[in-house]
Amino acid sequence: MKLPAALRLSPEWAPYVFLSPFVVLFAVFGVFPLGFSLYLAFQSWEPTSGLSAMEFVGFDNYVFALKDEWFWKSLKNTAWLAIASGVPQHVVAIPLAYFIHSSFKTLRNGVVGAYFMPYITSTVAIAILFSSLFSTDYGLINVGINMLAQVPVLSWFLPANPVDWLNDPASIKPAIAMIVFWRYVGFNVVLYLAALQTIPADIYEAATMDGAGRLQQFFYITLPSLKPMIFFGVTLSVIGGLQLFEEPFILTGGRGGSDQSGMTTAIYLYRMAFDFNDFGAASAMSWLLFVVVVVLTWLTNRAFRPRGPSA
Amino acid sequence: MRERIQRGRLRRRSPWLCLSLCLFMLSVPSVQAQQSLIVAAYPAVDEIVKSALPAWKRLHPNVEVKVVSRQFTDHHTAMTTALSTSFYLPDVMALEVGYVGRFAQGGGLDDLSKPPYDIKRFESRWVPYALQQATNRKGAIVAAPTDIGPGTLLYRTDVLAKAGVSEADLTQSWEGYVATGAKIKAATGSYLMAHARDMKDILIRTGIQPGEGLYFDSQSNVLVTSPRFVRAFELARKVRQGKLDARVGAWSNEWSEGFKRGTIATQMTGAWLAGHMNNWLAPSTRGLWRAAPLPERAFAAYGGTFFAIPRATPAANKPLAWEFIQLMTLDRNVQLSAFKTQDAFPALLETYDDPFFDQPIEFLGGQVARVGWRDAARRISAVTVHKQDAFADEVINTELDKVLDRNKDIATALADAQRLLQQRAHR
Amino acid sequence: MKITSDRLAPWAAYVVVGVGALIMLAPFYFMFVFATHSRTEIFSLPPPLFFGDDFLSNLKILTDRMPFWRNLGWSLYVALASTLLTLLFCSLGGYAFAMFEFKFKNALFGLVMGTMLLPSFMNMIPTFMIMDALGWIDQPKALYIPGAASAFGIFLMRQFVSSSIPKELIEAARMDGCGELSIYARIVLPLLKPALGTLGLITFIASWNNFIGPLIVMRSPEMYTLPLALRSLQSPVNTEWGALMTGSAIATLPLVVLFVLSSRQLISGLTAGAVK
Repeated sequence: MKLPAALRLSPEWAPYVFLSPFVVLFAVFGVFPLGFSLYLAFQSWEPTSGLSAMEFVGFDNYVFALKDEWFWKSLKNTAWLAIASGVPQHVVAIPLAYFIHSSFKTLRNGVVGAYFMPYITSTVAIAILFSSLFSTDYGLINVGINMLAQVPVLSWFLPANPVDWLNDPASIKPAIAMIVFWRYVGFNVVLYLAALQTIPADIYEAATMDGAGRLQQFFYITLPSLKPMIFFGVTLSVIGGLQLFEEPFILTGGRGGSDQSGMTTAIYLYRMAFDFNDFGAASAMSWLLFVVVVVLTWLTNRAFRPRGPSA
Repeated sequence: MRERIQRGRLRRRSPWLCLSLCLFMLSVPSVQAQQSLIVAAYPAVDEIVKSALPAWKRLHPNVEVKVVSRQFTDHHTAMTTALSTSFYLPDVMALEVGYVGRFAQGGGLDDLSKPPYDIKRFESRWVPYALQQATNRKGAIVAAPTDIGPGTLLYRTDVLAKAGVSEADLTQSWEGYVATGAKIKAATGSYLMAHARDMKDILIRTGIQPGEGLYFDSQSNVLVTSPRFVRAFELARKVRQGKLDARVGAWSNEWSEGFKRGTIATQMTGAWLAGHMNNWLAPSTRGLWRAAPLPERAFAAYGGTFFAIPRATPAANKPLAWEFIQLMTLDRNVQLSAFKTQDAFPALLETYDDPFFDQPIEFLGGQVARVGWRDAARRISAVTVHKQDAFADEVINTELDKVLDRNKDIATALADAQRLLQQRAHR
Repeated sequence: MKITSDRLAPWAAYVVVGVGALIMLAPFYFMFVFATHSRTEIFSLPPPLFFGDDFLSNLKILTDRMPFWRNLGWSLYVALASTLLTLLFCSLGGYAFAMFEFKFKNALFGLVMGTMLLPSFMNMIPTFMIMDALGWIDQPKALYIPGAASAFGIFLMRQFVSSSIPKELIEAARMDGCGELSIYARIVLPLLKPALGTLGLITFIASWNNFIGPLIVMRSPEMYTLPLALRSLQSPVNTEWGALMTGSAIATLPLVVLFVLSSRQLISGLTAGAVK
């Protein structure tokens, strides 16, 4: 059914028309907050006094942030957590998705469902559950470690005493990383599965006929075809990891943990704004974080697409 | 009126319709309008407000009160947001004592000491420290107190008996408290307290000079190297070295379990904890706890609720808002009913002669504890607040952890804290 | 050598995947277990391992404290609207970014990605200002309309379109005389099904679990969505753990149902090679 000539879109106008709904919403709900935040970064503002209480202070907030011990500490925490939770996610999700894709037929939905459930669980539930599971004396994680430590070989790797997950600065980071991994590995599996759908089956058939084994097919066919999705997934993990907020927030009760070892930059921002009532500094820090994320995203971009955009 | 028109304008499509409607409304002589008052609160203050509504109805049958209740933290975040933009402010705002200090520094709340409120004429009717707590550095009083949390020492009488020590041993002096703790540990294996931090929290509040805040003085000089901090840190370290604290955080599973099993012998807290223990924290320990004054005649407050009026609320609503606040904070019946149903310890002195105070509390083995709490409430002294108090709290707790867990030297720790706080004292 | 490892590896892999699945599900299981216990039991150590009998009393506390079913209804409505709008706007936009060249394309995309890089809570105050100016406070559309301009959505769609729809196909359709809109509707959309399914699922879940948005915009408890409503059970000193777990468990069920329904769309079923 063709539209009358008058209403038909030419290829020239089409992108503008297609994008316009998105752009309109974006201009209102995306650009204004962005601009406001940028403006705020140059002001000194104690929010409860109202909008008129903003005072221009130039780069003062940025200077403060760059000199602030806690800001740098939060960046280090964030980097550690982003890597420790992000890398395993993909290293595990890709082979897992491939395995599920090729080996499970009837049980496929169930298995993927199981891995995806953590992503669905609400933060409230996660907070309560993991506080209980990570409890020092009776939490099931310590109980599990204890049981595994009875096995002779494993006992070399596992701690002998119950780990004080939530209170010991050294162990709160691994605890957070574990939760983040648990929560998002299924999400990545679903993404990779969707991408695996688009690889034509005949390529595999041809390869099998040429005598390539499963492992070879994985490395030479699957991985390269997945490159766009890996780029997508890794970018999301970089961005998400650097902005990590929810999991450390709920595990440390919004404070960042003992010695601020669980305090990511996003949490520190939040505390600057809502606990310490210093919105100007919080905005400045969010833009500094923004710079870090932009740089890393650009590096990811370069790593995956060295020669410019390609399909 | 203006508010309602403002909201209506944005919803109507045609400006002409709206204009004619407005003109019509203005021209019609005062129809008996149902005014409404918006009160923003959080659990359980919302229940207290709702139970006062019948009394309000008798005073102002035409004014409907809408209670907007949010979760505790969400409420304060929403209030921050509303104050920052001056949109959708309630007429009356409930605030917890921890937030009053922060909100008081800005100009967002009305100064109740000025006319037409003149709150100072009621000053003597409330517990002295409460009104001071809502006073900012410029002398403006931004909120009226409705309930307070007098500090008390709850202890397990059975554990003490087993160790052969008495309440007096605990409360005589802080050093005595710690020494008694060692005896308790030796005899029963129970810890003296949940975390050494609890003791540090009280000790830094003792010996505050007039004009000083907790961490900063009125000139924003940092006070953390003063003797009260050193003493607090030293005693906390002694507690930790003697393995007298259970190293559990408040409200964690281990904490409540410690109460149930008697492995935590004492807890310094607000009087309201006894109610929680009775209801759900450790109901099986009924009769085993007693309440004592804090050691060495220290008096501190744990919690408390205030009511404030935002400056940007429409002027037409302010007189009613003020009347509402007076009902909540100055009416003897409202205060007592909140006490009896929600365990909200009254700030109003007139209520203190009510026979309810003399009733025995079953959870505390029939002890008439409220009398002691009443006495303590009168003696709590106010601590002036500083904008960076929340941050300072965090820094001091971190340094304390380093002293306790990693044997950091106390002088260095306090000096480091001093340095960190210096950077932000004047922001 | 190859034969042995081919047989051994899958068997071991099945075990590992199975154990992994159990670990993934364990906290979920506990959520349902906790939902059937009173808060004194949950708060004790060790925590309960099997189902209890307090489900109904928890449910009662839940429905007493808040208009639970109504909040559930609002959550559903907002999530559905959000998903539909987002799918529409982002697929259109992603297609445009991937397949066309136009002025300011890269700058615009960069700007869009830029918004993804700022923490969402920093937007609370400006968002509040916008919502008030539009008069959308306390209305559900304040929740689902802004989200339709999802940077994540556009990013995903653009990736998918550029990696699985060849330009030649579009060119061929154009030469056949197809209008742009019908190219989009009849060629591009069907090919995007896995991506649409994924984005739809993720958007629904994000909308369902979102509580910052409703916190800023909603003022009356009857208009709350679930996560915000459930928070009213929490307070620093007086949380109703049992009811909270019950509410959370019930809140998770629609997501599970949605996943089951869409996973067939997403995972099984699609023939690879539909491109040719």
